[in-house]
Amino acid sequence: MMFARFSLLAVVVALASGCANNSPVLGGKNIGYGDTKAVELVTNEFGSTDLQMIAESMTRSLAQSGILQGRPVVQVYDVKNKTSEYIDTREITTSIKTQLMKSGTARFSSDNTQMQSQVDQLKLQNQSGLYKKNTVAKTGNMIAAKYRLEGSISSIVKRSSDYKDVFYKFSLQLIDVESGLAEWMDEKEIRKTTER
Amino acid sequence: MASRVLTIAMLCAAVQLTGCAAFRNYDGELQQTNQHLSSGNVDAALALLEKNNTGEDKDLLYYFEKGELLRSKGDLAGSQTAWREADSVVFKWEESVKLDTDKYLGQFGSYLVNDKVRRYEGYDYEKVMLTTQMALNLLAQNDFDGARTEIKKTHEREAVIAELRDKEYLKREEQAEKEGVHTEYKDLKGYPVAALDAPEVVGLKNSYQSAFSHYLSGFVYEALGEKGLAAPGYRKAAELRPNTPLLEQALTELDKTPAKNAGSDVLIVVQSGLAPSRDSVRIPLPLPISGNLVITPLSFPIIKEDTSTPHFAQIELDRKPLNLTALNSTTAMSRRALRDDMPGIILRTSVRAISRGVAQKQINDVNPLAGLAVGLASAITEGADTRTWRTLPDATQVARVRLSQGEHVLNLPSNLGGTQVKVNIDRPYQVVTVRVVGNRVFAGGPALQVETPPAAQSVATLK
Repeated sequence: MMFARFSLLAVVVALASGCANNSPVLGGKNIGYGDTKAVELVTNEFGSTDLQMIAESMTRSLAQSGILQGRPVVQVYDVKNKTSEYIDTREITTSIKTQLMKSGTARFSSDNTQMQSQVDQLKLQNQSGLYKKNTVAKTGNMIAAKYRLEGSISSIVKRSSDYKDVFYKFSLQLIDVESGLAEWMDEKEIRKTTER
Repeated sequence: MASRVLTIAMLCAAVQLTGCAAFRNYDGELQQTNQHLSSGNVDAALALLEKNNTGEDKDLLYYFEKGELLRSKGDLAGSQTAWREADSVVFKWEESVKLDTDKYLGQFGSYLVNDKVRRYEGYDYEKVMLTTQMALNLLAQNDFDGARTEIKKTHEREAVIAELRDKEYLKREEQAEKEGVHTEYKDLKGYPVAALDAPEVVGLKNSYQSAFSHYLSGFVYEALGEKGLAAPGYRKAAELRPNTPLLEQALTELDKTPAKNAGSDVLIVVQSGLAPSRDSVRIPLPLPISGNLVITPLSFPIIKEDTSTPHFAQIELDRKPLNLTALNSTTAMSRRALRDDMPGIILRTSVRAISRGVAQKQINDVNPLAGLAVGLASAITEGADTRTWRTLPDATQVARVRLSQGEHVLNLPSNLGGTQVKVNIDRPYQVVTVRVVGNRVFAGGPALQVETPPAAQSVATLK
């Protein structure tokens, strides 16, 4: 009986171990997948860790502020890049947007870049005569934003023969469209120093 | 017997070497190619380029020149294919630098090999200009998304170069200290120092950052609606060329809401002339060889500006004068590259000459004939590296205008033949590029049409 129980356990363990990902690996001498959350310190320019840190800290702050009651509609504007570095600021707002959306705290209206595609699609459905009447999206039903989210990123870079110091400041604010009042605001500071 | 074998081997090696890159007269090859280009005979220029590069293993220079010649011919797809090859060579270089910077610097700093025997890996400014020119090819076909990829590559590459040069200059200072070589280019008697110390050369931040590349990237990002990325492009350009109203205006206009009228934002890019050539000059330097100071003639590169195309700063747009803003000078960048490289070149050339002098003296003591052979071989191999991308345009000037959609006419100055270019504007953002060499005008893409000027026609009929 005892033997049977052990055997069963052994079989379960063996089966479970078979569940691990055993996909074959091709090539890959010096190539490997890394942890996307690993702290990146390759150079002291703006990097993946900075993007993640800013997005995470802003999302947490905004979600915990209590402003976003009842999943309000927010329109995201471009974050103004005041640095001399090619930082894709849209990726920061996309990360913030994704995290807020996933946690169900806010809804987002079409932003500047998506608006044209949205209008084009509505026009196509209503004016081309190509679609079944009862499936056509009606015009005049788009939901307007209650808040707009906008911000900026700036940097101060100082160099000496031995050091390079970069200071980033990212600030974001949520403004009530009707009243024009800033309802929430936060900033994230990052300092990176390299010794040569 | 052994010494005779050694002598023969030495002579054989010298003869063998004459067949390799060390003896390629790149200046001579490209002078002829460029003559064909300036006379408008691009096919002859291409044929000559092929004739001079018959080997299987083509180098970076071949692809650089071929891409530019095909672009002048109007074959934008062919030009992109050639430049893709060049880009993959530069990409490999970039990877090797990123993987092991110290190893790369160690190899480059090697004293054993003459610079001109090395495989050509391109000057930093050439690497930056390569992707900029590729972006212009794509923009001539209104492919802004494709151009965005090239532009992103340009500034990523620029960052790799900046990091590498930082380390290189530090390492070189240490090596110069170790080897006891303290000669500076200003100490070279007879060397044209003034050309390297000209204000337009010293005024550049470095040899590889181009205000034009950054301005173009600003324009492309703006056209794609990415203002967050357009701003640093314009800002960097303004930092590289301070007090340029065009660049400062681009930044202030970026924050304004775009005008509602149906006009187009047009960037007119006029690239003129040819990149400068490199030549070799011999300058005697006293070197410590076996305890004595021996005056040894050493070869150093100099930059020779191209004079095929007169300078101009104005063209006509729809019969009205249009001022151009100069954003790039390949001559200044090339001089700056040489200015920054000179300490390294002096160090490597001197150390090589010292070790060669010592070796020659030792062989001379044993066998004067073998010593002579060594001296002969080194006299042939020593000479500055004169290879450089020669068909690259020298000056890049721009003007940004708002134009109504439809046909417009560009006229070049009359001293350049007064060629007329018809431009069709049909997009909200458009880049119009014109290339001028001598009094010939080249333009590619569906929006442009070069009209042969009446003067040139009459000359042609007279013939």
